[in-house]
Amino acid sequence: MIRPFGFDEALFIVWAIQWTLALSAIAFAGGSVGGLIIALLRVSRARLPRYLALGYVRLFQGTPLLMQLFLVYFGLNIFGAGINPWVAASLALTLHASAFLGEIWRGCIQAVPSGQSEASWALGLGYVDRMKSVVLPQAAKIAVAPTVGFLVQLIKGTSLASIIGFVELTRAGQIINNATFVPFEVFGLVAILYFVICWPLSLLARWMERRFAVATQR
Amino acid sequence: MNIFRKVAALATAATLFAGFGAASAGAQTLEAVKSRGTINVGMLVDFPPFGILDTSGQPDGYDADVAKLLAKDLGVDVNLVPVTGPNRIPYLLSGQVDVLVASLGITEERAKQVDFSQPYAGIEIFLFGEKDVDVPDAAALAGKNVGVARASTQDTAITKIAPEGTNIQRFDDDASAVQALLSGQVPLIGASNTVVAQVETVRPETYTTKFSLSQQRQGIATRPGSTELMAAVNDFLTKMKEDGQLNELHQKWLDAPLPDFIASTNN
Amino acid sequence: MNYELNFAPVFANFDHLIAGTLVTIQLSFGAMLLGTIVAVACAAGKTGGPAPVRWLVDAYVEIIRNTPFLIQIFFIFFGLPALGIRFSPNTAALVALTVNVGAYATEIIRAGIESIQRGQVEAGTALGLKRIQIFRYIVIKPALRTVYPALTSQFIYLMLTSSVVSVISATDLAAAGNDIQSRTFASFEVYLVITGIYLVLSVALSGLFSLVERLAFNYPLSR
Repeated sequence: MIRPFGFDEALFIVWAIQWTLALSAIAFAGGSVGGLIIALLRVSRARLPRYLALGYVRLFQGTPLLMQLFLVYFGLNIFGAGINPWVAASLALTLHASAFLGEIWRGCIQAVPSGQSEASWALGLGYVDRMKSVVLPQAAKIAVAPTVGFLVQLIKGTSLASIIGFVELTRAGQIINNATFVPFEVFGLVAILYFVICWPLSLLARWMERRFAVATQR
Repeated sequence: MNIFRKVAALATAATLFAGFGAASAGAQTLEAVKSRGTINVGMLVDFPPFGILDTSGQPDGYDADVAKLLAKDLGVDVNLVPVTGPNRIPYLLSGQVDVLVASLGITEERAKQVDFSQPYAGIEIFLFGEKDVDVPDAAALAGKNVGVARASTQDTAITKIAPEGTNIQRFDDDASAVQALLSGQVPLIGASNTVVAQVETVRPETYTTKFSLSQQRQGIATRPGSTELMAAVNDFLTKMKEDGQLNELHQKWLDAPLPDFIASTNN
Repeated sequence: MNYELNFAPVFANFDHLIAGTLVTIQLSFGAMLLGTIVAVACAAGKTGGPAPVRWLVDAYVEIIRNTPFLIQIFFIFFGLPALGIRFSPNTAALVALTVNVGAYATEIIRAGIESIQRGQVEAGTALGLKRIQIFRYIVIKPALRTVYPALTSQFIYLMLTSSVVSVISATDLAAAGNDIQSRTFASFEVYLVITGIYLVLSVALSGLFSLVERLAFNYPLSR
């Protein structure tokens, strides 16, 4: 039962990376869709959608991710969807990522000079064409670096899913620690693994930010 | 790395389930289990020696062995579903598992939500801690730090007897409380005999049991009204107790014969 | 949906929630103060210190920013005792939050310091100011003003992050919620109320920060 922290134990932890990555990917994909909608609503000219989107962002940026996870986890059960860590974690992290990505991308859309939008309007382009062909491609260039930066935050955020019983990297570490009781080694290894995933992304984000700053210097 | 494939399959299945499931599934019929050919059993994987993951990541332990024998007795395959202390009853009630063999203590409160079989295992809860901390009785707890798993039987028992000034530190699970004891973060914890035995093997002669808090019987649980299934479970347990198989398992995992208060076949 | 929300058990335990809220507030303000001190020291070391100091600061900032807070607090509470370092749960929570916010604030303040033009410092030197005076009046004060918005949103994020500390049995707001829900089984209602309290706290904090901004930095930015 209590066993030494050996190769198999370390391997179990290393393998759990795939669940951290899978959950991050789901939340990032879902959050991209939600984030784009939020960002577009936030720059909309109609007042109601703008305020609704703002309220959504304030709500998710003003409350802890852990509470969002708990509410979705227990809330799904109330609405008859059963208790399921996968569904709850994916949904909660998607909602969370939508708010943050929406806010980041709103900033990027607004950073595109308004003359661009006005010119395309003058050329007779409709909303969809204006966004799709003129504004969003320019905003996307600005958005890459902060988006990668948020991805790091999201990957770290998936560790909280361990608290609702989702077996990813952190929960795998806890399970192994519960059987070996060598927390220094176990959590040290888990920390190193997160670092190995997140650090290259952080460096990438910083490199892109610098490259973009140089490219736009006048 | 079989477990990962299994977890993935499970996750996919559960995701599908989630779409159609109801907050409370109805009673489970024995027939449905038999025609499906598989029984889904919820068990803990972080509660040694009852529920653990073995070195290849498969659920193992006393509960796993009981679940496998139960499936064999019913003539179906077993699908062991890892659950946690807080979510095991919701897992059962929402229909994602057919039975719990999850070290679930038989209490009046829980009996309102689920049906219990006759006991298949039992534990005794102690106040346990550093050798040189002198706590002859509950009154001596005043001013001391005691670690427990939040809302566990230990928590309830200690909260009931602790005098004013006792600092009860609540962790998410038993393992964290044990870890806090081993790290020297708390001098005392509320712990079951099984936890005591484990700690004694890693750190012999460092800790002693102070006094007994309570005895707890654990039962196999089904959704309310699953009469036939429950009858089959009880028959199975009676057989296992009479032919000595359960005693053998107990000897294998807990290094001791089945205690008398469990060995009786009455519910 | 055949479930009726029942808030009675939550409000029956309101004193418990208040006590937890106070701990959350204390932890947050404590970590903001200590974290800022750590960050100013690290940012000074990073921008003006010798190479080994710069590497140390870099390592600290990168390690903290690229690992989850949950792992950091497990490591501090359960891991560090192996080296003979022990804290009570609430102190461990304060240490973990300080170490965490310190790293983020270091990066923010460093950017602020680097935005101070070299000429300003040279002017200070020419006026015969001591190094510490130059750092205090010419570098750090304007730098803090420049980065104030970034710093304060990091502080609000810190307060939200502190909801994790109940895993080491600290007695904050989230822990009070866990206690109540495990006794009453009214999980959804408990966490709904707790989430509402966190929302109120973050709105109040951001109001407080803009008040401080108006009082402390009421002279115009010169650009």
